[in-house]
Amino acid sequence: MITLGAYSLQLGFLFALVSLGFGGWTLARDDGRFQVAAQRALVISSGFVLLATAVLVQQLLISNLDLEYVVRYSSVETPTMYKFAGLWAGMEGSLLFWSAILAIYIVLINFLNRQRNQTLMPLVNIVLGIILLFFLLVNIFFENPFTLLPPGTILQGSGMGLNPLLQHPVMLIHPPILYLGYVGFAIPFAFAVAALIRRRLDATWIRSTRRWTLIPWLFLGVGIILGGMWAYVELGWGGYWSWDPVENASLLPWLTGTAYLHSVIIQEKKNMLRLWNVILIMITFILTIFGTYITRSGIISSVHAFAATDLGIWFFGFVVFTIVACVGLILLRWDEFASPNRLESFTSRESGFLFNNMVFLALTLAVLWGTMFPVLSEAVRGAKITVGSPYFNRITTPMGLILLALMGIGPLLAWRKTSNATIKRNFIWPGVGAVVVLVTGLAMGVSSIYVVVTLALASFVLVGIVLELARGIAARRRIAGEGMLTALLNMVDKNRSRYGGYTVHLGILIMFIGFTGKAFTVEQDMTLREGEKTQLKDYVFTLQHHYIEKRPNHIAKVIDLTVAKDEHIIATLSPEKRFYTDSDQPNTEVAIFSHGLIDLYAILGDFDQETGVAVLKIMINPLVQLIWLGGIIMVLGTIIAILPSRADRKLQEKLT
Amino acid sequence: MDNQRLKFVILIIAVAVITFGWITVGVGSEEVPYVSIMEIVANNYEFEQNRLRLGGLVEEGSITYSTDRLNVDFVIAQEEHRLAVHYQGLTPDMFNDGAEVIIEGRLQDEVFIADNLMTKCASRYEADIIKPESNPQGEI
Repeated sequence: MITLGAYSLQLGFLFALVSLGFGGWTLARDDGRFQVAAQRALVISSGFVLLATAVLVQQLLISNLDLEYVVRYSSVETPTMYKFAGLWAGMEGSLLFWSAILAIYIVLINFLNRQRNQTLMPLVNIVLGIILLFFLLVNIFFENPFTLLPPGTILQGSGMGLNPLLQHPVMLIHPPILYLGYVGFAIPFAFAVAALIRRRLDATWIRSTRRWTLIPWLFLGVGIILGGMWAYVELGWGGYWSWDPVENASLLPWLTGTAYLHSVIIQEKKNMLRLWNVILIMITFILTIFGTYITRSGIISSVHAFAATDLGIWFFGFVVFTIVACVGLILLRWDEFASPNRLESFTSRESGFLFNNMVFLALTLAVLWGTMFPVLSEAVRGAKITVGSPYFNRITTPMGLILLALMGIGPLLAWRKTSNATIKRNFIWPGVGAVVVLVTGLAMGVSSIYVVVTLALASFVLVGIVLELARGIAARRRIAGEGMLTALLNMVDKNRSRYGGYTVHLGILIMFIGFTGKAFTVEQDMTLREGEKTQLKDYVFTLQHHYIEKRPNHIAKVIDLTVAKDEHIIATLSPEKRFYTDSDQPNTEVAIFSHGLIDLYAILGDFDQETGVAVLKIMINPLVQLIWLGGIIMVLGTIIAILPSRADRKLQEKLT
Repeated sequence: MDNQRLKFVILIIAVAVITFGWITVGVGSEEVPYVSIMEIVANNYEFEQNRLRLGGLVEEGSITYSTDRLNVDFVIAQEEHRLAVHYQGLTPDMFNDGAEVIIEGRLQDEVFIADNLMTKCASRYEADIIKPESNPQGEI
């Protein structure tokens, strides 16, 4: 089986090479003879990559300890579902997993476009082929997951097991979803490059990749949120975001991707910003590769980083290659970018999007700068200087608030130019909503100005969205005589991008409200004996028991902590300190109970078995759940925008 | 260039300038230099910046917890250099003799008062446990 995996990987590489050969011929000679062959070779290559991945998964599942990779990232005792996670736990497997996801995208995109986009597809396949080839090259020659343990190695035990931190249900879905996002941006990128080469820079390539941009954007966003969730429930420091380089690396393409999702609307409607859109999607793709580079090279120390390797130079080379190729291509096609239309007024939807783009880009730059600062300062000043969370929070909070404001203002502006009457009509109620919250907040004496401003802006956005929906529904009821719900559903179906977008906005504003909870967090470190009580805010925590439990691959020290409010016991928190016997690692398991929107969060430091004294930390985290709720609404909104409307489906039926 | 276009160009430049200014100010005020113990001693325990960052190994046997275990004193080692560290709070899972740590905080009377204590290889995805050179029999 191992041989099958290793050969599949090599055959995948070979077929990708063959495909690029045929593709190159097609492009260079403008000769379509080998076009079909190029496409088939790439699909076959993808098939082999998937086969190799399946073999590795199978080896992990049966715990074949001949394979070094299995020994390092799994063990016989590892619970079955976490044996799957072994696939992305190590460098070799995670690179293969990356290729496998690209392979899935390649097969899908070729299947769905078998009748469509015939001028662009051959070039799209060349671009995707180059990316696949690069990853396979690294996988085969530097980080081969099918390497056998050196002969003569004596195994003690049955594998080193999966890192305990990864043994969490969220960790089973977070990496695959994040990867689906990261890798997926290769599709719109490939289309942009193809359109550029073929001089087809009208909105066609953008329309045909609309879904292919929304899908990776959705996955990346969900992946990021799940990462935050994992940090919150597993890492045991009570937060969900720490501005760690690897977190930032995933945020960067999401930011530029979001900017792109907005700016393409202008190209669709007004045929403007052609150059800008091409640049944005290129930056987004390059940032995904750059993110992989940061994670894999160990260039910036991060809690997430894989062990430092020499791979950095290869990824860096690939990033440089991509940048050079993109810039060259843009210069070659410079004459294609002129647009007949231009911006007419500051108070227009177009300029709203333009501002949105500028702030998103500024935010990207700020995060990138802070992330790379240790490297840059060392190169320029010779001293390694870091900037931590204070820098990021200080810089990004105002920018985030400007974006929140734009999220409210933009949709209220008309295309081309907004008349003063319209401005008055559209802004008055959202404005009232914002002022009411602002005044109430200040009157209640909320200490943080950022919190008050966030809530006021959120109220502005919310009122704007509700009014927009109400007006649309009222119009449909008047004209078509539909009922409330029918009117709403029909309206959304008629313009899925728009109302899906509003739903996403709703999710984002809920998340923003969730972020403000940070200002109200209370935490305390303490020691408690059995029977001892402590009070934090309105909650009384009592340590009831402490005990030790032996489980399949770990031993757990557990305490039972009851929580009472107004003399009533509302929950028992059981935080644990585990010791994993297979990987020889301790791991803290936090306990969380959500009381309404308030999370009660307990972390066990340790307890002394003889004296019965436990060291622990208790936190009260309000509103964190709104972040997860906002995330779910964001997903729903994106799905609304992705699914085809009734009219689209009818058209599809007619065509087939 | 017509008037309207000029306005937009000026606006874009203004936003760019504000962004750069904002970032520069932000970085300037939140800089945390990565220092070595040697530099600390050479600088006579005085630095321009308030916060410092320091990486090293926990000296074997130097960890002493307070009786309530909420405070910990230890010695951080960089080759032959040593520095006393005080930290208040729960220690991370992998904090132990010989662990590689990164600390952040300030200096006070030749003691590093850390408010952030991170263990380095603890949270890596990869535990680097196969070490042939330290394990001549090739055992794992």
